[in-house]
Parts: sequence; C-alpha cells; structure tokens
Amino acid sequence: MTSEIFEFLGSLHPLLVHLPIGFILLTFLVDIFIKKKNNAVKGVITLGWFFSFLSGAIATLFGWFLGSNNYYFESQIDIHKWSGIAFVGIAFIIWLLRFLNFHFSRFFSRFINLTVLILVLVTSHYGGEMTHGKGYLLKNLPYVKKELNQKILLADKDNPLDSLYVYEDMIYPVLEEKCIACHNQNNTYGGLNMTAYESLIKGGNNGAGIMKGNPYQSAIFKRVNLSQNHPKFMPPSGTPMNYDEVAILHWWIDNGAKRKIPLVKFRNDNSIRKLVEEKYQLDLKEKSYLETLKLSVVPDEKLKLLNEEKFQWRFLTNENSLLDLKFTAKKISVNDLKSLDQIGEHIAWLNLSDCQLTDDMLSHFSKFTNLTRLRIQKNRLTDKGIKFLNDLENLNELNLYGTRITDASLEVFSQMKGLKKIFLWNTRVSANGIKSFKSLNPAIEIITGL
Amino acid sequence: MSMNCNHDHENKNYSRRDFLTKTSLGLGALSLGSLISPVDAYGKSNFLNLLESEKQRLPHFIPKAKRVIYLFQSGAPSQLDLFDYKPKLNEMFGQEVPKSVIGGQRLTGMSSGQNTFPIAGSLFNFKQHGQSGTWMSELMPYTSKIVDELCFIKSMYTEAINHDPAITMIQTGSELPGRPSIGSWLSYGLGTDNKNLPEFVVLVTKGKTGQPIYSRLWGNGFLPSKHQGVQFRSGKDAVLYLDNPPGVTSGIREEQLSSLKKLQHINHADIGDPEILTKISNYEMAYRMQTSVPEVMDISDEPDYIFDLYGEDSKTPGTFAANCLLARKLAEKDVKFIQLYHRGWDQHGNLPKDIKKQAKETDQATAALIQDLKQRGLLEDTLVIWGGEFGRTNYSQGILKPDNYGRDHHPRCFTIFMAGAGVKKGITLGATDEFGYNIIERPVHIHDFQATLMHLLGIDHEKLTFKFQGRRYRLTDVHGNVVREVLS
Ligand code: HEC
Repeated sequence: MTSEIFEFLGSLHPLLVHLPIGFILLTFLVDIFIKKKNNAVKGVITLGWFFSFLSGAIATLFGWFLGSNNYYFESQIDIHKWSGIAFVGIAFIIWLLRFLNFHFSRFFSRFINLTVLILVLVTSHYGGEMTHGKGYLLKNLPYVKKELNQKILLADKDNPLDSLYVYEDMIYPVLEEKCIACHNQNNTYGGLNMTAYESLIKGGNNGAGIMKGNPYQSAIFKRVNLSQNHPKFMPPSGTPMNYDEVAILHWWIDNGAKRKIPLVKFRNDNSIRKLVEEKYQLDLKEKSYLETLKLSVVPDEKLKLLNEEKFQWRFLTNENSLLDLKFTAKKISVNDLKSLDQIGEHIAWLNLSDCQLTDDMLSHFSKFTNLTRLRIQKNRLTDKGIKFLNDLENLNELNLYGTRITDASLEVFSQMKGLKKIFLWNTRVSANGIKSFKSLNPAIEIITGL
Repeated sequence: MSMNCNHDHENKNYSRRDFLTKTSLGLGALSLGSLISPVDAYGKSNFLNLLESEKQRLPHFIPKAKRVIYLFQSGAPSQLDLFDYKPKLNEMFGQEVPKSVIGGQRLTGMSSGQNTFPIAGSLFNFKQHGQSGTWMSELMPYTSKIVDELCFIKSMYTEAINHDPAITMIQTGSELPGRPSIGSWLSYGLGTDNKNLPEFVVLVTKGKTGQPIYSRLWGNGFLPSKHQGVQFRSGKDAVLYLDNPPGVTSGIREEQLSSLKKLQHINHADIGDPEILTKISNYEMAYRMQTSVPEVMDISDEPDYIFDLYGEDSKTPGTFAANCLLARKLAEKDVKFIQLYHRGWDQHGNLPKDIKKQAKETDQATAALIQDLKQRGLLEDTLVIWGGEFGRTNYSQGILKPDNYGRDHHPRCFTIFMAGAGVKKGITLGATDEFGYNIIERPVHIHDFQATLMHLLGIDHEKLTFKFQGRRYRLTDVHGNVVREVLS
C-alpha cells in the first residue's frame, strides 16, 4: 500500500519539476527588470526564492521516490539528482538570508543568479534525457544527420550470409544498446544479466529470460512487448526496442532461440524476411555461382561475330553479362566453336545437342570457364572427349544422354568439382558402374532412363 | 487529312491507336506537329511499349525455367476425389455440412437452392505414396508413383465462381476478357528461343465436351498480335491454312513473300504502324513453320517404349496422351509456353463414374511426360503444371446416393501440382480444413501462382508491364506475391 503511494507520488515528479523552474525564472526576471527595488519588490523576490525552494524540495522528494523504483540506473540519475539537490539547497539558503535582511552586493547577487540558472539548466536537461531519451535535444535540429532506421550489418557486404547469426549479429547489438547498461555483471537489475547468452536464457529473479520456442513465456520478450506506459515495460528509460527489433526477437525465440541460427534461415519465412531485408539492406536470396559472378556486359561487336543462322542466344541477367547459347543448325564445325572463343567466359548455359559434335571438338571447351550447364547429348561422343571437360570446374549439370561413353568416363566425373547432375540415359555406362560411382560420390545425382 | 506526314520524325512504332492518342491532345498538337515531333514532345521513351532497350534488360534475374508446359484441366477436377484426402467427410457421409463451415459464403446458383447439403465423402481410396508420404487417390496410379517429383499446392483459391471468369482469370490475370494470356506475356517479355516455331503453342484434346474453350484464352489482348498462342491441331493440317495452295511451290511462295515484304516495308516507312512489322514477321514465321511444324508433329520415329510410357492413347492423334508427347517434342524444340487443354472435369452429377474416365485419360500421360522430360534433362529447365480453374464442393450437388454424387463449383480451395525447374520436389504446401471447404494454411491466390510462374522464368511480375489505354497493365494486375515456399 505505502509503496504504491510512493510510486504514485514518484510519478508526479515529472509534473512537479516544472514549478520550481517557473518560480525561479520569474524571480530572476523581477530582479533584473525592476530597477527601482523598494521594499515591496524585495519582498516579492524573497517570496520567489521561498516558493522555488519549497516546490523544488517537494519535487526532489518525489523524484527520490521515482528513482528508488529502480527504473533508472544510478549513473543516469546521478547528475540530475545532485544538481537538483544543490538547487534546492542554494534556494533555501538565499531565501533564509534574504528573510534575515542580509545585504547582497550587486556582484554577489548576479553570481548567485547565474549559478542557480546553470543548475536549473543542468538538472532539467538530464531529467529530459531520462524521459525523452539520450540526445533528444539536438536530434531534431535541421543540420544534424538523422540516424536512419536502416542498419548495415557488416561493412563488408560480400561476407557470406551463412557466417552471420541472428543472435550474435542482430539481437545482441540491440540488447547491448538498450538493455545491458542495467543488466550486466555489476548492475543486475531484477537479477538479470544479459551480457552472456547463457545468463540471458536463464533469466532473472522471476524465471526464464527466454523459453525456447515460446516468446510469450519468455520474460525478455514479454517485457519489451508490453505497452510502453506499463510500469513493467523494458527498458524503463531510454529508447525502447522498435517494431523490427521486437519482431526479430520474437522470430528468434519462436524458432528455438539457438545461439547459432544463421541469417539465411529467414529465407523460408516470408513474414520476417522482407522486414529483415529492408532493415539491414540484405538480400537473403540464395545465390548460385552465376549470381555471385561479376562479369562485364558482353560486347556487342563480339556478339555480332556469331552466325545468326547457326546460333540462338539470349541473356540470362539484366546486366547482359551471361549467355544462354544454343547451336541450331544440323552440323557443327570447329570454326563454329572457334567463333565462341571471344565470348567464352560469358557463356553460362550451352546447348550443342544433336549436332554431330565430335570428341576432339570438346578440347575447345576449356575457354568456357563459367559454364554451369552443358548439353551435348545425342552426339557420337566417347570417353576420349569427356577427358577435355575435366577442368570445367563450375559445371554443375552435364547432359550426355544418347552418347557412347562408358564406365571409363565416370572417373572423370568424380574429379569435376562442381558437378551435381549427370544425365546418362542411353549410354554405354553400366548399372554396376553407376552403383559404385554413387556410393563414392553421393553428392552427384545420376539420371538414367526408366 | 493526310496521314503521310510522318517522314520527318524518327518514330518507328506509330500505330493508328498511337496516332489518335497523340492527336487527341487537341488540334493544337497537330499544327505543332511540324515544329515538335510528338515523339520528342513526350520524351523519347514511354511513347509506346515495345522499347527494345527495356526488353533487353529481361530477364530481370537468372531464370530457373526456360519454358512451361501447362496441362490445364478445364472444368475443375475434384480435389476431394483426387488429392485432398478428407476422412472426416467419409465419417460424416450423408450428414449436413455444418452451417459454421459454409459460414454464409456465396454458393453458385446451381446448388444454392438445394434445401440440403449432404456431405459427400470420396468413394475412392486414398493411400500415401513415395518418400514424401503424399496422399493420392486410387484414381491416379501413375502419378502416385512419381509424387516425389511433384510439388502440390492444396490451398489455391480464386474469387470466380463460374468457369468462364475463372479460366479467364487463371490464364490472363483478370476475370474480364481482353487481357493477354500468360503465354503471350512471356512471348512479349522473353522473345523466342526458336525462330522456326511460335513461342506459345496450344494443344486441345480432341473430341471432349463440357465447358467451351476458345481462342481468346490464348489471345494476345492488347499486346502485338505476334505474341498470341498458336493452336496446333491433330491430324494432317496441324496449323490451319499453313500449306501452300495446290500448284504453288515453295520457291514461288518464297519469292511472293519477299516481294510482299518489300511492299510492306515501304508501307511501314510511310505510316509507321507497328502492326505492319508484326504482319511481316507472321508471314515469315508461317513460311518457316511450313517445314518446322510437320517435323515436330511427326512422331513416327518415337520408339515403342516411349509410346508404352505415355499409354496406348498416345498413338491416337488428338488425345491428351498424344498431346503430352507432342508437348515434350515442342519443349525439346524450345517452345516457351506449351498449353494443353483437357476438358470434361465439370462433374455436377455422376462424378464417380465420370472422373474415373477423366483420370484414366490424363494420369498415365502426365506421369510419363514428367518422367520423359526428366530422363532427357529437360525437367531441369521446364516447369510442368497440372490443374484446373477452381475446386469442387464437399457436399453433393443433387441427390446423394451411397454410390453416386455430384459436386458443384468451389472457388475457396483447390489443388494443383507442379514439377520441374525451380520448384521443390516431394512437398505439399497449404492445407484445407477437415471438411475440405476452407483453407486453414498458406492460401495461394491465382495471382500469387502467376507471380511465382513469372519468377521462375526470371521475370519480376511487377516489372513486366504494357501501357494501354492510359495505364500500365501487368499479368498480376496490382496483386500477387511470389510463393517462396515452393522455390527450390
Ligand atoms: C534503466 C535501467 C534498465 C534498462 C535500460 C533495462 N532494464 Fe530491465 N530491469 C530494470 C530493473 C530496475 C528491473 C527490475 C524491476 C522490474 O522487474 O521491473 C528490470 C527487470 C527486468 C526483467 C525482469 C527480470 C526478472 O526476472 O525479474 C527483464 C526480463 C528485463 N528487465 C528485461 C529488460 C530488457 C529486455 C531490456 C532492454 C530492452 C531492459 N530490461 C532494459 C532496469 C532496466
């Protein structure tokens, strides 16, 4: 009961503090502007100091109640508290001296006024920072650069996304900024220390900080998700967590709150994905080799060298850097292949199926360094030709159905680093050969016929 | 008024419509015409849509699929008898559908007058198949064997409650006729991969009855007419009026066309209507198709085991099975959008008997197509889609008998499946309630489905637009979200 009364009185503090400010300023104004100070004027000034002291004392008392609620931490309150007390003390002394008709020199009176004015400014500024957040005063000035909502996770954006983690790289930095001042080894308010993952999960005096998989049983989430006016809302002062931060926290707890959930997990969850992508300017899309490749535009004059009667091509990216190319005539020649040399690195997908491609022609393919899909099915190719494909290390799909290759080629396949799929329907590769290949190379899929 | 006044500006794409749009700025615009070219007045861009510069920037990102085979099951197959297993309906066979399930939703005029809505549990047995454990009814034994290749969406929905608006919606993104269909958009956006065949080919199963299918479903709408779908018919004349008239040899034909082309170019230089260019390219395409079409329609060198795979029907031209086989051949030739239509799924009555027949006609060939594409490596960059325009009700339309029922139209949920390029294998997305009436998990709207399709082909569905009658249009209108959960 009494603690509730104190809490109520404490909450009046922000209202009451404005009274001493008004009284003391009015007193200064009277002192400065009324030059002829007869007794009546002097009486008014003395009375002004008295009311400043009285209202200041009450405000300080109520402020003490508020401070002892532990909503603010000491270092935050300190300056505000002591400069406030100093103000009340000085006001009392001045009033007393004036009451006792003590004579002030002009200089001393000015000095006192200035000192008290500074104390008022300091006290109210720090008080303001507590209620409105740090830096509130200057942040809306027109020339101050506004802090954007968008954050960049890492300076180096090419950092692979799977080396970033939801907790370490997104949640902890927010906690550090908004909670840890009050919840660390030294200031463990509520018994909660949020500096370490384990103690964060464990929680404070009232149980689990995080219940994995259940945000609404997790004190940390519950406290930041309350109405901001709720006495239990966290943080009690300073900038609250914003919507995005709370949403990410929710998602993280919901998804098991493991220490190492990589950012790429967001991919599968549309609701959070967009938010994260926008807030951190990320692109969570899974990147294939081609998507990470940065090539220049295929030069027009080189494309013009291609025989339009024989080749059909189109771009695969809107930077016009990669080509999907197909041979459309019945029979290909070495010269046709040579015409591709100049644009070799730009060819990502190549279709030379059913065009009488021969083994020795495959020796030209080493120019196609960025080839990922190669279709050379339905040609009379043998193991001799396949050897030339050995150094196409980015190739992941190879279509050889309807060729004459045998088990001997399997050896080459197992050395091709990027390979993921091979099509071997209607070839001379044996079922046993495939079986032992699969057991040695489980990551490579072989598609045979039915 | 002479229209031949355009020699002095550079506009190459100036159709009658554009002319009227320009001049409708007022007569002032006409008199100013000699001072300011209307093209320049508008800035060089955005005057018309066929901006080569803009189109060269397509695809927007690296595509997963290069082509689509859309096996459209017209009339709306009953998801409850094929895919969406609801044992609750069998438990409650014959009882009323609880009022809370229908929840005052609109029913079609065909059954809304019924004074009873008896639950009709499916008469067909369901079993789980494959590693994915996908439930399938016994109606689709062949497709059941390849469920691990398939990606089901059981939570499709649409607003349309009747066939015409629903099919128009799924093919064009709008219930009202007049918009370009999916294949036309793709042809417009991505161009051709094979100069000898159209980008958009339509195959309709012969001799089926039911809801009508008409050419506007593969129409180009307001896009230039060269983007419209071309129907290949079964039998001798695959494309009507393609052959030379008796007595005209190929040589004569070629000469004729090249002279005509010269005349058309003169005409185009004069009045600048882009449809003239379309005409020229149509004539040329028709000429090339005189050899390419018979070649692709010829299935005589397919080995027997391929016919066996597609089923006995596949030797009979015009059947769904034969069309599936053709679809594979067209895919091999890099036709971009291959649209099959199979009618007859609109089973308001006598469903158990009729659906058996429908399933038999489509099941084996569908599975065969997917397997055949797979062994050729084509499933890597071909997207296959199987589905209708909406679903069917869980209650019987007309009198429910222990061995017979009908089902009315049901737009609130239906099932489609996909296979191939860029979609996950062996998964099921979305779910309906235990009555198979409402969606309870991950609703997917037609526009979401279309957005996903475009995405797989490397197109951002919000960016492929065409300006017409003063606004920009796109396939998904102002809707649609890519269904990321199905992307592999
Ligand atoms: C200005 C200091 C301060 C800041 C900043 C602060 N807290 Fe607190 N926190 C407290 C105090 C004091 C208590 C104990 C009183 C209470 O439970 O309300 C507390 C208690 C808690 C408790 C309850 C612990 C228990 O088991 O009783 C949780 C959870 C909590 N804070 C979470 C947070 C989170 C999350 C943030 C950051 C968004 C945060 N706090 C920031 C001061 C602070």
